[in-house]
Amino acid sequence: MGMTWPRIVRAAAFAAALHVAGSAQAQTVPSEPLIFGGGRVVVGGDAAVSTAPEDEGFFNYSDYEQTTLRQIRVGMSALVRLSDRVSFLGELRSENFEYVTVFGLYARIRPIPDRSLDVQIGRIPPTFGSSSRRNYGHDNPLIGSPVAYQYLTSLRADSTPANVEELLAMRGRGWLSQYSVGNVHADRGVPLVSAFTWDTGVQVSTAWKILKASVGVTNGTASNPRVSDDNRGKQIAVRATITPATGLMIGGSIAQGEFLDRRVRALLPETGHDFDQRAAEIDVEYSRDHWVARAETVLSRWTMPLGTGGAVTTLRAAATAFEGRYTFAPGWYGAARFEHLGFNRVATATQTDEWEAPLSRLEVGGGYYVQRNLIARTSLQFNRRDGGRVTRSQLLAVQLLYWF
Amino acid sequence: MRLHIPTASCLALALLLTTATSPAQPRLGAIRGRVDVQRVVIPAERRPNPADLGTPPPREIPDLRRAVVYLETAPAAALESRELVRARMDQRNETFLPHVLAIDQGTLVDFPNNDSTYHNVFSLSRTRKFDLGRYARGKSKSVRFERAGVVRIFCDIHSHMSAFVLVFSHPYYAKAEVDGRYRIDNVPPGTYTVSAWHEGEVRETKTVTVPPQGGDVDLDFVVQ
Repeated sequence: MGMTWPRIVRAAAFAAALHVAGSAQAQTVPSEPLIFGGGRVVVGGDAAVSTAPEDEGFFNYSDYEQTTLRQIRVGMSALVRLSDRVSFLGELRSENFEYVTVFGLYARIRPIPDRSLDVQIGRIPPTFGSSSRRNYGHDNPLIGSPVAYQYLTSLRADSTPANVEELLAMRGRGWLSQYSVGNVHADRGVPLVSAFTWDTGVQVSTAWKILKASVGVTNGTASNPRVSDDNRGKQIAVRATITPATGLMIGGSIAQGEFLDRRVRALLPETGHDFDQRAAEIDVEYSRDHWVARAETVLSRWTMPLGTGGAVTTLRAAATAFEGRYTFAPGWYGAARFEHLGFNRVATATQTDEWEAPLSRLEVGGGYYVQRNLIARTSLQFNRRDGGRVTRSQLLAVQLLYWF
Repeated sequence: MRLHIPTASCLALALLLTTATSPAQPRLGAIRGRVDVQRVVIPAERRPNPADLGTPPPREIPDLRRAVVYLETAPAAALESRELVRARMDQRNETFLPHVLAIDQGTLVDFPNNDSTYHNVFSLSRTRKFDLGRYARGKSKSVRFERAGVVRIFCDIHSHMSAFVLVFSHPYYAKAEVDGRYRIDNVPPGTYTVSAWHEGEVRETKTVTVPPQGGDVDLDFVVQ
């Protein structure tokens, strides 16, 4: 794809922003966050350049044109401290310089400075899940993202199938899903939990001894975070973690929110159903010496209409991931992640099948720290899907990752 | 970052072979003075992480004013064998304490963890690469520094944690006190190049002569 003039201008503007930030410290490439105003303003950034063969099965696409294995990803984050009670945080991201997204932008208020109670208001980080808040570069040991947070199902909030046959026809086509009710234009579906955008709302977090807890009320849902509300329904999400021993963390989350866009809802008869998404999650992380091991299971349930005659179906999905990382020499590490994404079965007059094609993924890889904040890494990803145009793929990806 | 210390150690060995020293025991002198750190060094901050669900815990601010003064070329007395000692760099409130450690070559440095969270001390410096892995409060791991040079120390979990270990092949160095004062004792008479190092770089280098009768020689530095 050629680079258009607007794209070049946007790329240059973003590069200029990085240059201005970089020039603040003696014209050198920074290795620490940039600090202004005596520590009141702190700016960090990261850039990742990844390449891989064509992903013909769209296993790693975040929408029709963006694959997470072949992209230039640039991000800048900032913290502005107004006082010991109030600060503002924000994060800009760009993928392939095609657009710059305000990923997060919110105020953090700590009413009592020495009490662990924070209120965050604005475009806030996800309350639900563990991987959704991990720093991509540093905390994700592999190039691919966990399927629960990245893999696109065929489900959409602004469009629904007329019947089960239409739903099944979209199996394995979440990257460009199309139904006949609501928005009839083809568009990407939603993952179980979106790592592509953050939701908008209010979040309250606290900590007490080994317990940390957060509650969030937002406009969208776990799979469809939103800036503006599309259905006058709020999501409530709760997350709690305990750390019974150093290195061991056990967490769990639940979330429930109205999923269906009001423009689709307007086409349906009043049945009293809530067309919502309910999700639950449990995760464990244990680390010791040179090992880090993680496991996470995400369950999601969407109540969705079929057609406009009042028929309703319940669609379920479950994703489980096991991940490990081992540092075998200073600057060198290896990592692996195995995941499975499964769906419940639905029936037509002639067949019964999972409403989406189950997916299994194994990704193995490793990295080398060229310097503390510059990592070269590679991974080999094996995908196997029970449906769709391409059912198997092996993708070798390489990446250079820099952060400050 | 300029790495002057390995160069200094090589030069020291070369000079050991060429420096003329009298067979009689010379009177030893001392180089003393003050390092006036005028440059403003702001402690490294945590990377802003908007994904955090709340304010991260407070951390200790390291003392970044301490400079290290050392002789670039060592006199013959550097050959005298010295007793190997242990040194210590704590991890407390997500900070390495002290921020700068100046040690003899061969010193064993302990890295105890005093925080309730894991730390993972590592270095990718050519002088000494190591990765101690993750360990909890109350535990300690050690590293022996066999080669002279500058070693940057980091924590793999907390990216704002960093420190320096300066490893010397001779004993003619001193870490400045809080008020900037330093003193290098037992320096044989001769002319020396003396450097003041601060936060990763040699900031100023001067020449000084310790007279044959010994005594204290004043040498001040200004780090800008």
